[in-house]
Amino acid sequence: MTRLLGAEIRKLWTIWSTYVLFGIVVVIDLAFGFGLALAPGGRHGGSAGVVPHGSSQWFINVFSVLDVSRILALVLGAIIITGEYRHKTVTPTFLAEPRRGRVVTAKLGISFGSGVVLGALTMVTGLVLGFVLVAMKVHSCLTPLGVSQGMSQALCGVRHGVYYVATTHNMWHDWSRIAPGVVLGTGLFAIYGLGLGALLKNQIVAIVVGLVFTLVVEAIVGAIWPTIGEYLPGQAATALEDAARTNFGGTTQLLPWWGGACMLLIYGIALAFLGTFTTLRSDVT
Amino acid sequence: MATIQARGLTKRFGGEVLAVDHLDFDAVPGGVTGFLGPNGAGKTTTLRMLLGLVTPTSGSVLIDGHRYRDLPNPTMRVGAVLEASGFHPARTARNHLKLTATVAGLPFRRVDECLDLVGLSEAADRSVGGFSMGMRQRLELARAMLGKPDVLVLDEPANGLDPQGIAWLRDFLRVYASEGASDRGGKRIVIVSSHLLSEAQLIVDDVIVLTGGRLAAQGRLQDLLAGSKRSVRVQTPDAERLVQALRAASLPAVVRDGYVVCDGATPQAVGPIMVENRIEVHEMVSSTESLESLFFALTGGEGMQVGHGVASTGDYRRFDDGPAASPSVGPIGGQA
Repeated sequence: MTRLLGAEIRKLWTIWSTYVLFGIVVVIDLAFGFGLALAPGGRHGGSAGVVPHGSSQWFINVFSVLDVSRILALVLGAIIITGEYRHKTVTPTFLAEPRRGRVVTAKLGISFGSGVVLGALTMVTGLVLGFVLVAMKVHSCLTPLGVSQGMSQALCGVRHGVYYVATTHNMWHDWSRIAPGVVLGTGLFAIYGLGLGALLKNQIVAIVVGLVFTLVVEAIVGAIWPTIGEYLPGQAATALEDAARTNFGGTTQLLPWWGGACMLLIYGIALAFLGTFTTLRSDVT
Repeated sequence: MATIQARGLTKRFGGEVLAVDHLDFDAVPGGVTGFLGPNGAGKTTTLRMLLGLVTPTSGSVLIDGHRYRDLPNPTMRVGAVLEASGFHPARTARNHLKLTATVAGLPFRRVDECLDLVGLSEAADRSVGGFSMGMRQRLELARAMLGKPDVLVLDEPANGLDPQGIAWLRDFLRVYASEGASDRGGKRIVIVSSHLLSEAQLIVDDVIVLTGGRLAAQGRLQDLLAGSKRSVRVQTPDAERLVQALRAASLPAVVRDGYVVCDGATPQAVGPIMVENRIEVHEMVSSTESLESLFFALTGGEGMQVGHGVASTGDYRRFDDGPAASPSVGPIGGQA
C-alpha cells in the first residue's frame, strides 16, 4: 500500500495540471477575499463592512469565503481517478496492481491528502490576504486622503499602529478558528470528488455533476427543506467550520462539526465503494 | 519455467458479441508464440483477459496456475505491451516508468536501464505528448521490461515502428525468449499478436491462429507448414522432356508460364530424375506454402491485411537453402 500511495503522489506532481489547479485555488481565494473585503458598501469594508472593519466578525466573514476552495478539491478528487480513464493510463495502473480495490483505496488516501494540502494552501493565502488588508488600512494614513482628513501623519501612524496590533490579534484568532474546518472540509470534499469520479468514470460528467449538485441542487434543496439540506455534502462541509454558525447572522441549519465530517466521509467512501464494484470492475479495453 | 493455459476461455461483450468462444490453448516457454488472426478475431480480448484487464464470461486463462489478478507483484512476472495503453501527455517518459517501478518496488536505476535498452535515454525527460507512435511503442516495451518478466505479452508490437525498429524488435524478442530467466531457472514465454503475417513468420516459433474468436490451429509453425502444399518449379530449355520424365515417375508435372511446375513434389524427388535424363537446368526453386496462404486456408480467407506488400501465395526458396522449412528464412523472390 505504501508503494501504491507513493505512485499516486508521483502521478500528481509529475503533471502540470496539478500545479495549475493549485494556482487557480490561490487566484480564486484572493479574488473572493479581496472582492468581499473591498466591494462597495463601506470604506475598506465592502459587504463585510456591515460589521466594523477589523473586528472579529469582519475577519470571519473575509476568511470563511475561502471555503470556495472545496469546490476545487472536488474537481481534484474527480481528476485523480477520471484522469486515468481519460488518458488511458488506467491500463498500466491496473497492470501493475490488478487488485482494483487497492488502487481506489490508495487514491482515497491521496485525495484526502491533496485536499488537505489544497486547504492548507487556501488558508495560507487567507493569512496573506488578511495581512494585506490590515496593511492597506495602516497605509491609508500615508496617502493624501489620510492626511487630508486633518490628521497629522504622526498621529495617524500611532493610531493605526494600535489598530494594527488589535486587528492582527483578531485576525489570528479568527484565522485559527476557521482554518481547521476549511482544511478538513477540502480534504473530505476531495474524497467526495473521487467517489463521484469512481462512479461516473467520465471526467467531464463527474466534474459537471459535482459542481451542479454542490452549487445548484444543494442550494435549492437547502432552501426548501433545510432538514434535508444539512445532510448534503456542501452543508456538511460548512458545518465543519467552527465560525460558520455565527457567519452572516448564522441562520443556516447545520449539523455538529463531527456530524458533517461523518456525512462527507460516508458520501465519499460509499460512492467510491459503489464505483469500485460497478464502473471500475468493468473491462479495460 | 512459466506456463500459460487457457481453458474454455469465453468472452461475450454486452450479451451479444461473442468475441472469444471456448478457447483452449497453451503457450510454452523457450520460443515466441504468435497470436494470429484477422481483425476482430479476438486476439486483443484474449490477451487482455490474460492480463486481468478484461474479465472472462466463462473459462479461465492462467499463468502458472494463477489468475493475473492473484499474482502478488505482476510486474515481476508478466510484462505487457498493449496497443491502447495510455500515457499522460504531460508526463515525461522517465516519470511514466517510475510510476510502475514504484508500485513494483523496483529501484529507479532499473528505469534508466530499460530506457537505455529501448534507446529512449535521450528522450527520457521529454513529455510523452511529443512522442511519435514508434517512441510510445518503445516506451511501452521499456515499461514491460522493468521487472525482467518471464512472460512477455505484446499486442501488435510492430505498429508504428520503422523497418529498423521492427528488425531490432525481432532480434530482441528472439534473444529474450531463448535466453531464459536465469534467476528463475527456466525459459521465458513470449506471446506476440499480429495481423502482419509476413512479419510474424520471421519472429514466431509457435502459432495460435484465431478466427471469429475460435481456435483455428495451434502448433509449431514448422510442423504446420510442413504439412502443407509443396511444389517444385524448374526452368529448363527441355521442358517437354522433363514433363514426360516426371510423369513417368508418376509426378503430376505441367508447364506453366514457361516453367515446369510439379505440385506436391520435393527437390529431392525431382533432382535425381533430371540427372538421370541429363536435362539441362537453369533454375530450380522449391516452394512451400507460406504462413499467409496457410492462414487463408485456416481462416477461410477472411478480410486480412497483408503486410509489407508481400502478397504471394507461395514462398519460394532456393534449392540449396536446405530442406527444412525454417521460419527464420525470409521470403525470397516471393513476387515471382
